[in-house]
Amino acid sequence: MLTLAFDTATSVATSALVRDGELLGERSSRAVRVLADAEELLGHAGAEPGELTRVVVGTGPGSFTGVRMGLAAARGLAFALGLRLAGISTLDALAAGAPGALPVVDAGRREVFTLVDGMPAAVAPDSLRLGPGATCVGDGAVRYRDVLEALGARVPPRESELHVPRARFHVELAHEFVDPEAVEPLYLRLPDAEQAR
Amino acid sequence: MHARFGGVVPEVASRRHLELVVPVLREALAEADTELESLDAVAVTQGPGLVGALLVGLSAAKAVAWANRLPLVPVDHLHGHVASLYLQHEPVEPPFLCLLASGGHTLLIDVAEPGAFRVLGTTLDDAAGEAFDKGARLLGLGYPGGAAIDRLAREGDPAAYDFPVARVSGLDFSFSGVKTALLYAVRDLSDDELERRRADLAASYERAIVSALVARTNEAAEQTGAPRTAVVGGVAANSELRAALPDALFAPLPLCTDNAAMIASAARYTEAVPFPGYLELDAYASG
Ligand SMILES: [Zn+2]
Repeated sequence: MLTLAFDTATSVATSALVRDGELLGERSSRAVRVLADAEELLGHAGAEPGELTRVVVGTGPGSFTGVRMGLAAARGLAFALGLRLAGISTLDALAAGAPGALPVVDAGRREVFTLVDGMPAAVAPDSLRLGPGATCVGDGAVRYRDVLEALGARVPPRESELHVPRARFHVELAHEFVDPEAVEPLYLRLPDAEQAR
Repeated sequence: MHARFGGVVPEVASRRHLELVVPVLREALAEADTELESLDAVAVTQGPGLVGALLVGLSAAKAVAWANRLPLVPVDHLHGHVASLYLQHEPVEPPFLCLLASGGHTLLIDVAEPGAFRVLGTTLDDAAGEAFDKGARLLGLGYPGGAAIDRLAREGDPAAYDFPVARVSGLDFSFSGVKTALLYAVRDLSDDELERRRADLAASYERAIVSALVARTNEAAEQTGAPRTAVVGGVAANSELRAALPDALFAPLPLCTDNAAMIASAARYTEAVPFPGYLELDAYASG
């Protein structure tokens, strides 16, 4: 079983190649480069795209354009190879990489994407209810460090790898594989034009 | 889909692109009665356009090409419009002068050979199709505005109003002034009067835009000495424009609005990027 996973929803894109539960390689770069990363990962493993058996993609929430680039690439790849696809929430993958921590992704417009009572939501960072000793990770946690620390949370140093999604965790969480078009983006927000109506 | 918002909303368009990107691939392959395995290359629009929408197509195309290590052909959208002329039973042979008028672009292009195009003039503000859309909104008509104005204009007097179109230097266009002139005309009318004069306003407005397009096109034809003139893009469907340029060649109606056939057509004259050189390719918003 050869699984390729990638997530381009946040400022740092991630990709990983896993064979039967063994991590063969992982890359971080930008959304526009993610397929070049995937090709490098396959090259180091001496494999080619046609040998992939499963594809996993991060579905956001994050940058709308980034989410769509990942989904478009994943759907195109799965379609072209006749594979099934799994979608994993970027928040869940972040949380899996930092057990016990709350994932906080920068959502722009002075908001963050995070889990509220276990459900993904877009909220103002100062409205978060954080338990004592809470740890926050993600680019939103880094950006709103002051706000979150004032609420009693701990935010690891900016360079910590806990702040970026790592695609190996997408693979770990992927259990349900479906038709490529059945994997939906997690926007959590309507387009501006709809909101204004 | 964009009718509800009276225009193209980038975020709405981009979301829709993602929903449709795989279904349209399936449909095109089925309609052509072919399979992915028999493809030699994948062509995709790289720009110019809405970057969020372009990146959906580009990401999917890169993935499809990469899956089979096929070459990728990054096509310029404007070149695509010109190449819609090569899909007719009797393809237009360069050299020719091309007027590209759509919701996003208004350009005069010198086409010396199928793969090359040189822009002679462009709009300094609104595109012609955009001017039609905005005019239609002022007149309380639907979207897309070009078709709505074209239909209503047939019942009106094109000489009823004098909407001046700004003459800018060179071979460029400007349509923001004519839109403002229409706005003032509409603002001065009561609801009843507007109802009565709507067709006259539409006809006069359409006449103003079309005359500007025709005048510039004729000037460009004279300057370049092009043996033929062709018209492409959504505005090429306009009946007044077709009547005003009786000797010009018009793109087939189904290929006037944006379509993927014209992109495949342009790909024949665009250099392909072999695997793996395209894996980091980015989109471009403006030309
Ligand atoms: Zn176009």
